[in-house]
Amino acid sequence: MTVSENEVGIKGRFAKLGRNIFKNKECYFLIAPGVIWYAIFAYIPLFGLTLAFKTYKAKLGIFGSPWVGLENYVYVFRDQAFMQSIFRSLQLNAGRLLFAFPFPVFLALIINEVRLGSSKKILQSVFTFPHFLSWIIVASIMTNVLGMTGLLNSLIGMFGAEPVSFLGSTSFFQPMIYLTENWKSAGWSAIIYMAAIAGIDTEQYEAAVIDGATRLHRIWYITLPGIKGTATVLFILAVGNIMTAGFDQVFNLSNPATIKVAETLDMYIYRVTFQSAADFSFSTAVSLFKSVVNFILLFSADRIAKILGGSGLIS
Amino acid sequence: MNTTAKKSGNPNNQFEALDGFILAVLLLLAAMIILPFISVIATSFATQKEYLEAKLLLFPRAPTIDNYYRLFQDPRIWVGYKTTIIFLLVGLPVNMFLTTSLAYGLSRPQFPGRKFFFFAILTTMMFNGGIVPMYLLMMQIKLTNTIWAVILASAVNSFYMIIMRTYLSNLPESLMESAKLDGASEWRILFQIVLPLSMPIIATIILFYGVDRWNEWFNPMIFIRKNDIVALQLVLRNIVIESRLTETMSISGPYEPSFQDGMKMCAVIVTMLPVMCLFPFLQKYFVKGVLIGAIKA
Repeated sequence: MTVSENEVGIKGRFAKLGRNIFKNKECYFLIAPGVIWYAIFAYIPLFGLTLAFKTYKAKLGIFGSPWVGLENYVYVFRDQAFMQSIFRSLQLNAGRLLFAFPFPVFLALIINEVRLGSSKKILQSVFTFPHFLSWIIVASIMTNVLGMTGLLNSLIGMFGAEPVSFLGSTSFFQPMIYLTENWKSAGWSAIIYMAAIAGIDTEQYEAAVIDGATRLHRIWYITLPGIKGTATVLFILAVGNIMTAGFDQVFNLSNPATIKVAETLDMYIYRVTFQSAADFSFSTAVSLFKSVVNFILLFSADRIAKILGGSGLIS
Repeated sequence: MNTTAKKSGNPNNQFEALDGFILAVLLLLAAMIILPFISVIATSFATQKEYLEAKLLLFPRAPTIDNYYRLFQDPRIWVGYKTTIIFLLVGLPVNMFLTTSLAYGLSRPQFPGRKFFFFAILTTMMFNGGIVPMYLLMMQIKLTNTIWAVILASAVNSFYMIIMRTYLSNLPESLMESAKLDGASEWRILFQIVLPLSMPIIATIILFYGVDRWNEWFNPMIFIRKNDIVALQLVLRNIVIESRLTETMSISGPYEPSFQDGMKMCAVIVTMLPVMCLFPFLQKYFVKGVLIGAIKA
C-alpha cells in the first residue's frame, strides 16, 4: 500500500464520518442538553479533584490554585481522627454486610413461600414503604420508638425492666444502625431477589416435586442457586461502597452522645469541610483517597467473585 | 411471583407447620414496621399528660389536634412546604426534560460517538468529584443560596436515565423508521410517537424523581443557608433532631409551654403524609422501575 492510497483512505473515512454525523445531527441536538449538564456538573467537579494536590485559594478558584504535590496528604495521614474514621467506616460497613445484607434474601424467600394470595400484596406494601422515606423521617420516627419514653422502652417496661437509652449509648449504636437499616430498606431490596426467584424455570420445581424433594430441599437446591447471581452482583456493589455507605443514616441517627463511635469517613469529611474552619484542599484530598479505596475494593471484589466461579460485574 | 408460590406449595400435612412458622415470622416483621408508625400517629394526637402516664400508647383515649395547631403556628413548617414544593415544580420538569432527551438520544441506533457519550456517563457513576468540588463550583458560578444550586446539582440521575434508555431501546424500531421516512424530525418522533408509547416508564421515573425531590435535604443543607429557603426535610430535622439539646434544657426549666414530643411527631406526619397517601396507589410503578433496572444490572 502506498502513502497516497493510505491518505485517500483516511480522507475517505473522515468524509464518511462527517456525512454520518451530519445525517444524525438531530441525535446530537437531542443529547446536547444532557451532555452539557454532565460536562458542567459531573466532569468539572471530577477534574476538581485535582484540588487534592493543590492549596485552595478562593480568589484563584479550583483550577487556578497553586500545586503543592502531596503536602495535603502529609497532613491527612497525620490526623488521628482521620485514621480512626477509616477504621470505623470499615467496621460499621463490614457489620452491614454481615447483618443487613443477608436479611433481604431471607425476606424474599419467606415472602415467596407464603400462601396468602392477595393479602401478600398488602404485606409487600408494608415492607417496601419505609424505603421511600428520607433518613431524616426515619431517624425522627426512631427518636419516638427508641427514646427513653418510647415504644420499645414501654414494652420493656411492661416486663418490669429499666428503660434503656438506645439512641444515646455508644454500645447500642452499631446494632441500632443495622436494625434501622433493615427496617427501612430490607423490603425494598427483597424485591430484586423476588424478581430473580420469579425468573427461575418452573420445570425445575416440578421435576423436584416428582423426585420427592421437600420444600426446604427445593429452597436450598433450586431457589438459592437461582438467586446467587443477583446476590453476587449486589454484594460486589456493597463492597464497593464499604467506605461510603450510610452517611445519611449515620448523620441523622448520631447525636453528641454517640458521635465518638459515629464519626465514619464521610462524617469526618463533612466535619472538616463544613463545620470547622474549612480547608477545602484537605477535605478534597480525603475524598479522593476515599474514592480510590472504594474503586480498589469494588475491583477486587469483582475479581474474587470471578475467581470463585461467579459472574462478575465488570466484563 | 404468585405462580412460584403455587408451584412450590404442596398440600402435604408435613409442611403445614412450616407455613404457620413463615406466616408468624412475616406478621411479626410487619408489626415491627407498622407499630412505630402507629406510635408516631398516637403521640401526635396525644396530650402530654396521657403520653407521660400511659404505659403503652398506641391509641390516645382523648385525641387532640392541639399539637397540629401549635405546629402550624410555627412559620418554619410553611417555609419548608413552600421550598420543597418549589423544588418539585421547578426541579421535576428539569429532571424529566434532561433525562428523557438524553435517554432517547442515546437509545437511537448507531450514530458516531454514541458509545463514547454513554461510557462517559457510566464513568461518572463510578467516579465523582464528591461534595467539595461541587460546592466550590456552585460558589464560583454564584448559585449558592439560590434554588438553582439544588435543582442543577441533581438534574440528572444516571441510574434513572439508564433505566429509561433500556426501555426506549426496546421499542420497535420500525415505528421510528416509518415516521422518519414520512419526514418527521427526531424531536417530533420523540414527542408524538415515543413518549405516548413510553407512559409506563415515564410515570415510574417521574415518581422516582418526585420522591427524591421531596426527600431532598443534603444539597439544600450545603448549598442554601438562608432562612426563607429551607427544605421541608431540614425543617423536620431542625424540629426533631437538632432540638434535642435545647429540649433537655427546657425540661429542667419551670415552665413547659407545649407538648414538645407531640408536636415533633406532628412534624413527622406532615412531612411524610404526601408519600404515605400516594404510595399504595403508585407502588406498582416503583416496582416496575426497579425490575427494569435489575434486568439491566
